[in-house]
Amino acid sequence: MITASPRHIVLSILAALAFVVIAAVGATIVGPAGERVLTVFFISLIAVLGIGVYSGNSGILSFGHMSFVAIGAYVSSLLTLPAAVKAATLPKLPEWLAATELGLLPAIAVAVAVTALVALVVGLALGRLDGSAATIATLGLLIIVHGIIIGWRDVTRGSGTFFGVPRDTSLWIAAAGCLVALIVARLYRDSISGLRLRATRENAIAAGAVGVNLRRERLISWVLSAALMAVSGALIAHFLGAFSPKKFYFVDTFQLLAMLIVGGMTTTTGAVVGAVAITVVTEFLRRLESGIDIAGFTTPQVFGTTQIGIAAIILIAMFRKADGIAGLKEWEERLFPPRTADVGDGRLTKVSDRAALTAKAMTMRFGGLTAVNDVSLKLTPGEIVGLIGPNGSGKTTLLNMLSGIIAPSEGEFSLAGKVLNGEPTYRIADLGIARTFQNIRLFPSLTVHQNVLVAALSTGGGRDAEGRAAAALENLGIAEHSGSDAGTLSYGDQRRVEIARALACQPSLLFLDEPAAGMNREETDALMETLRALSRDLGIGILLVDHDLGLINRLCDRILVLNEGNLIAEGAPDMIREDPAVIEAYLGRRND
Amino acid sequence: MEILLQQTVNAFALGGTYALLALGLAIVFSIMGLINFAHGELMTIGGYVLMYCGLAGLPFALTVGLAILSTTLAAMLMERIAFRPVRNASGATMLITSFAVSMILQVLFQNFISVRSQPVLLPQLLSDSVRVGGFIIGVNKLLAIAATVVMLVFLDWFMKHQKTGIAMRAAAEDFAVARLMGIRANSVIAGAFALSGLLAGVAAVLWVSQRASVDPLMGFTPVLKAFIAAILGGLGSLRGAVAGGFALGFIEIYLAAFLPAAWQEFRDPIGLGIVVGVLLLRPNGLIPAASLKAQKV
Repeated sequence: MITASPRHIVLSILAALAFVVIAAVGATIVGPAGERVLTVFFISLIAVLGIGVYSGNSGILSFGHMSFVAIGAYVSSLLTLPAAVKAATLPKLPEWLAATELGLLPAIAVAVAVTALVALVVGLALGRLDGSAATIATLGLLIIVHGIIIGWRDVTRGSGTFFGVPRDTSLWIAAAGCLVALIVARLYRDSISGLRLRATRENAIAAGAVGVNLRRERLISWVLSAALMAVSGALIAHFLGAFSPKKFYFVDTFQLLAMLIVGGMTTTTGAVVGAVAITVVTEFLRRLESGIDIAGFTTPQVFGTTQIGIAAIILIAMFRKADGIAGLKEWEERLFPPRTADVGDGRLTKVSDRAALTAKAMTMRFGGLTAVNDVSLKLTPGEIVGLIGPNGSGKTTLLNMLSGIIAPSEGEFSLAGKVLNGEPTYRIADLGIARTFQNIRLFPSLTVHQNVLVAALSTGGGRDAEGRAAAALENLGIAEHSGSDAGTLSYGDQRRVEIARALACQPSLLFLDEPAAGMNREETDALMETLRALSRDLGIGILLVDHDLGLINRLCDRILVLNEGNLIAEGAPDMIREDPAVIEAYLGRRND
Repeated sequence: MEILLQQTVNAFALGGTYALLALGLAIVFSIMGLINFAHGELMTIGGYVLMYCGLAGLPFALTVGLAILSTTLAAMLMERIAFRPVRNASGATMLITSFAVSMILQVLFQNFISVRSQPVLLPQLLSDSVRVGGFIIGVNKLLAIAATVVMLVFLDWFMKHQKTGIAMRAAAEDFAVARLMGIRANSVIAGAFALSGLLAGVAAVLWVSQRASVDPLMGFTPVLKAFIAAILGGLGSLRGAVAGGFALGFIEIYLAAFLPAAWQEFRDPIGLGIVVGVLLLRPNGLIPAASLKAQKV
């Protein structure tokens, strides 16, 4: 399913088609040299889009994708190589392979399947690593695959040239492949998986808290991107006819990455812009490198002009526009911003399950510091419970344990009898516990609507996600901002988006960590009314952390007081106000 | 048994060089989140200074000093020119910037010095070997181990007892808070680069003294290995970088020595496979960085 508006998708696909066809026709007019350049360009663009599917959406830069190009190239070439050539150049091939002789398309299909399988295995391992560690691990993948290709002489001819591959890749085949890659990459970006993955890129912890299984989405995009790389590899192999492992190593990796990053990693628009920019400059400099005649003068030959040129473009692009030339939006999103009316209406259903959250003897130690000590509590749908205490008393740590973000040192918590210790955050969110964060954690470069939609799509099986998202936006009164990027909103509105996002998960219990911080009196009052309505009309149980005691006293049925990690009081607001231990914790002991 | 001891010495020498390089990468990474691809070119610069000083007939001790000084200055210059404009950008932006710097330097070396490998004149002493308790060790290997130990001790002292070092550790844990405490971002980052340049310089001397030649791409492979070592140890963790460097050195040397001949072709993939295996068991590396634990939610 695609989450973007159909208008955007249709526009982008038509533009991709027009771009590919016009470029190909143009190159045919220029002649064979133009056709060669454009064919290579198309094949490179497939690879750039392939890397973009993973790196752009996940935010993890990959150096390893060239290894998938290599696998695609070798596998497809082994299948299309004429049997006679195989007998001469690769005498030690297994018999079934030596006798095989496929056409280009079936060979590509097999190459894609094999590469996807390899990517699946690698991806399962890679999923355990994060951020920069994952990036360097992909560098390791590149070296490993390169090493295997060189070592596996019987099949790959080692570091020597693999030749005799039929030159079946015509300009139009490359163009068709490129069009497919453009469409796949564009659709993936706005597919459910793509939207979830982009949410993890923006804020991994928040994505988990709204039900996104980060590893699964990363794996999906990793395998999909590997498949695109395999197409690129098969096409380049059948374009060149002869290649060696060097073709699939650092030089080409960096060229592709330069294209992707100069253009803008997060969009297909960026991939195209970057590929065009680098190709144009490279072609120009390549001619300059060997010395060209300008008005009768021949420029001197300079070694490495192309590299210097690419490097200079990268530096200029990074210094001027760190997000790439195309920025963070697709061209059609920029030209035709989503309309507010695109958000339909819907409603949130009343909480039917009266299952309570029970926490027993929760304890959290950070090294020698006990942040939370032996705290037990119960939260039932429909009630509003306040959690107060001085700064550093362990309120946020308690919320973090109860939402699965950190594992408690001791203690057990359960929802409706199901023990939640050790459950990942995304599953806890799916079971009906949603939360907001003390330091706002939105997905800043996604729109408000997408912020909320991704939560709705990732919980409750994604049923009626659009309706739930719309209702959540309506409930918090931020529907008018739905088309804006979340990061551009005012502080108070960002808080409201965060609550709406939690609400879209259709929770039975909602943890709010200082929702009124930074809001003025009117805004706080409005928020209070909203929360009261959520509890009354939808039956949601709310655990509210705030320093605004006025808000807490008026809103809560029950108040828990923490001090230095210990639960020092629990009861109705009136009782808490009179409790000597609470007064002491807040005001200090009287000295008489 | 003798071979084992011999190879262990080799492993310490190679691992030490990796450790110094990985440390240089880790210091910069821990503070500003930059994976510096141009670190290898710092090494190459050190190598060329050794070469030119050797040709000029300077005494070796002075040559070494100049080489290390040049890499230190080059690292600070690199930060000032190339990395300051992208300091607050994403990790990918910084990484690709460093890659561009590396590419430009390589082309400059190729055009202004030579595309080919150049010999470096070294004192005879370095190619001698000594007999220690029945087996023979190259002087260069012993010096490499000694230099590594000296550098590690120096670094430990620097990080624990020097104001700049302590500021760096603070900045590595939480840069924003460190700045609020009055630590100047510019001086901490410049210091981190100076230190990484210093380590690259020492590594260059050790590397060249084993090979007696320098070429425009000299730094590429060892720094690639150092990246792997830094990850193996735990990215951003200094102790981890050292541990990772030595671990990788041992893996490589032992595989080269003890892997059956038929498998030697797959030495690099197998070595990296072992590293990946370790990472699967310990995703944050052998000795994870402290900042990972301190992450605020």
